[in-house]
Amino acid sequence: MKVTIPIGPQHPALKEPISLRMTVDGEVIKDADLRLGYNHRGLEKLAEQKTWVQNIYLTERICGICSHSHTTCFVQGVEKLMELDPPKRGLYIRTLVAELERVHSHLLWLGVAGHEAGFDSFFMYTWRDREVVMDLLEIISGNRVHYAINTLGGVRRDIDEAQRAKILGSLDTLKKRTEYYLMIGANEPSFVARLSRVGYLSKEDAIALCAVGPTARASGITQDVRKDDPYAVYGETPFEVATADSCDVLGRTVVRVKELLQSYNIIEFLMKNLPNGPISVKAPRRAKPNEVVSRYEAPRGENIHYIRSNGTDKPERLKVRAPTLGNYAATIKMLKNGFIADIPLIFAAIDPCICCAERAVKVVDARSGEERTLRFSELRRMAGRRFEKVSQKRNAVWPF
Amino acid sequence: MKIAAFLPELLRHIIRKPATVDYPFKKLKVPKDFRGTPFLHPELCIACRACERDCPAEAIEITAISDVEKTFKMVIHNDRCVHCAQCVDSCPTTPKKAMDMDAAFEIADFDRHNLKAEWVYVRAVQKPKAPAAPAAPAAPNTEAPA
Amino acid sequence: MAVLRTFLYLLVYPGVVFLFVYSTFAEWFDRKVYARLQNRMGPTHTGRWGLLQPIADFVKLMSKEDIVPERADKRLFTLLPIFGLAIVSTAGLLLPVWNFDLAAPGFTSFPGDIVVLLYLLSLPTLIFFLAGWSSTSFFSTIGATRVLTMLFGYEVPLFLSVLSPALLAGSWRLAEIARFYQQKPLLILPTLLGFVIALIAVQAKLERTPFDIPHAETEVVGGTFTEYSGKKLAFFRLMTDVEMVVSAGLLAAVFLGGFPGGALIGFVQFVAKTLFVIFLLSLMRAVTSRIRVDQVVSFAWRCLAPLAVLQLLIVILIKGFLL
Repeated sequence: MKVTIPIGPQHPALKEPISLRMTVDGEVIKDADLRLGYNHRGLEKLAEQKTWVQNIYLTERICGICSHSHTTCFVQGVEKLMELDPPKRGLYIRTLVAELERVHSHLLWLGVAGHEAGFDSFFMYTWRDREVVMDLLEIISGNRVHYAINTLGGVRRDIDEAQRAKILGSLDTLKKRTEYYLMIGANEPSFVARLSRVGYLSKEDAIALCAVGPTARASGITQDVRKDDPYAVYGETPFEVATADSCDVLGRTVVRVKELLQSYNIIEFLMKNLPNGPISVKAPRRAKPNEVVSRYEAPRGENIHYIRSNGTDKPERLKVRAPTLGNYAATIKMLKNGFIADIPLIFAAIDPCICCAERAVKVVDARSGEERTLRFSELRRMAGRRFEKVSQKRNAVWPF
Repeated sequence: MKIAAFLPELLRHIIRKPATVDYPFKKLKVPKDFRGTPFLHPELCIACRACERDCPAEAIEITAISDVEKTFKMVIHNDRCVHCAQCVDSCPTTPKKAMDMDAAFEIADFDRHNLKAEWVYVRAVQKPKAPAAPAAPAAPNTEAPA
Repeated sequence: MAVLRTFLYLLVYPGVVFLFVYSTFAEWFDRKVYARLQNRMGPTHTGRWGLLQPIADFVKLMSKEDIVPERADKRLFTLLPIFGLAIVSTAGLLLPVWNFDLAAPGFTSFPGDIVVLLYLLSLPTLIFFLAGWSSTSFFSTIGATRVLTMLFGYEVPLFLSVLSPALLAGSWRLAEIARFYQQKPLLILPTLLGFVIALIAVQAKLERTPFDIPHAETEVVGGTFTEYSGKKLAFFRLMTDVEMVVSAGLLAAVFLGGFPGGALIGFVQFVAKTLFVIFLLSLMRAVTSRIRVDQVVSFAWRCLAPLAVLQLLIVILIKGFLL
């Protein structure tokens, strides 16, 4: 007997609203349907009306956990448009905050995975240790989230000796705790039983469905923008891309923990080799007409910003392709033939950041193949017209 | 796989103090350069409007009150402010900036309109910089010193 | 006079008022231990050390709006919390909190009362199933079916392991079993395996991690309790607390030697031993993560049931050779 159950838009398993409608047979999922758009805020339109400097803070607020990735991706693109060359020390500090953000995001994810699996003690411990990283970021940038350390042409704040020593000292604590969590995660039988062989995504499927980030790396694909297309100082920093071969949620956990350990090494290298010099160059108000694509390896995967300028002090078009958007198709594949009890874990394993991924709706006509971009007001009008006809019938079934 | 690998760590924590800070009865100190609420040093402001132009949230509003006496009024709408401190970075006055950030973050209120701060002041006069050396030898020397 | 005494037993101690107050205290203890194990504070500000927090939660729930879904079976939906609370309170009356006069069995202590207690403790599972079923919302139905699926797993090991010490003591009356182990405390050691199995099975009966599948928050919103709100939810939560105290009392009476020593010392022993059992249950809750419902059944039949049979064998051998 097939029943359709809705997960979302409001559900305790989801941190943000998304609608997953699943057709289930008993406890096995037969089909899944994804509806987006609940978190659309009109950021791309708003970006066209703010100047380059104001847009740094707008792109930062696309997401809270990966805020630095959006602002750095944007600032890198604009620096290319304005043909600026940020100084080395500025780039080092930018990379340092990027790696600290990766650490905090992965520790957050470990806690969330524990909570979705019911392992609340693990959740509490990882988030307690994440406070170390949050305090470091507060000391460097003045705030725990939304660091706003980037400016056009470099960074805004410098690091002095005391802060450098504190960062190096905290790394030891973090390394010890991460290795302890690796041991716990691998050895607690109930936790491993929930994670292993859940959400299987084979290597061919991952490539065909454009999976990005740890989701793809857990299926054995070596794909990391930091190695393929180095930006900031990743070209001169030694590190390895973390992969796993088990293609399931356990593999994704292992990939993220390995990335944590790699990030600690990168931070240590950056702090020991910080060059002296200025931290930023002055940026002009206007950019010449041009277009640029900027890529960045966010904690969740590959983040792409497309920026077009037309000679004024405001961008003409900003398009954001967040990593979670790329992972949605892979999620649908993973959900089929899974259990209901595994839904939260499969969904949490791609590390969803739904607010990153909500952008304008594109409607493709299946017959003619033409594309239209719909405005929210048009969608509202279409929905109003459709529901007028539906509510004429008695006992109308509300599609949800 | 070990059964209850987590157990020794858990039991150790029964005797330890909890990691939670008993806010609001105990508060943590914020670090130096913490981005709290922006405020103005009115005696230093030259009313160049750079902060008003660069604020992403349109939270700064500068109005000229009197042209003769050169008085201005600045209103900072703290309910719109996103605490990014771009105003502090854009402020060009030297040696001390007119816009500054303090460490106040507990500014919540029941009424949005109580969160606005305003200053009425006379525009300061920026001290002139020392005259720069001539840029090129062919510069005309009829140019009066600044 | 005897009638007045009976009423006092029923209503005050060890009856309704005592059970309710003690079960809120037990919930506070459980939450505080769970929090301290996780390096957190737990309830702190309501009352001294947060002692009034469960009562505050109860009062808050009683004052909230009571919503009954349109398609639900209204009579069943409303009566189930009341039945549940009545059943577990009756089960609480059967605990040997005093040393009853063993020669004169009364209505609270009679031969066979351990079987009645176990039966009364398995009725709440049925009530959870009916609660989920009568709500007719999809998440409640999934929760209700999971409750029954778990029942197939843990019920048999629980019965086998609780009845083994009864076999060793040679009686079906809780007061006599307790008295037997008070006189021969060394015989508690062979039943320790049964104690561990009974702890795990009781954790499953109380639907706590690792077995909190029926009302797993991140999967089925609220499971059986999704549609309940207001007074009915308050009664269900009180019922789970009382069930925890009664199960802990059962385990303490059968495995840890009962509560001897008359009125005052018996009371202190009751509190100490039940809090010890609840501490072990909280520890189990903090150490593990939730497992899937099919894994519960396979774990129960592959590990727990054979070990319970082993315990039974040990008891039979000891009874045959030593007694």
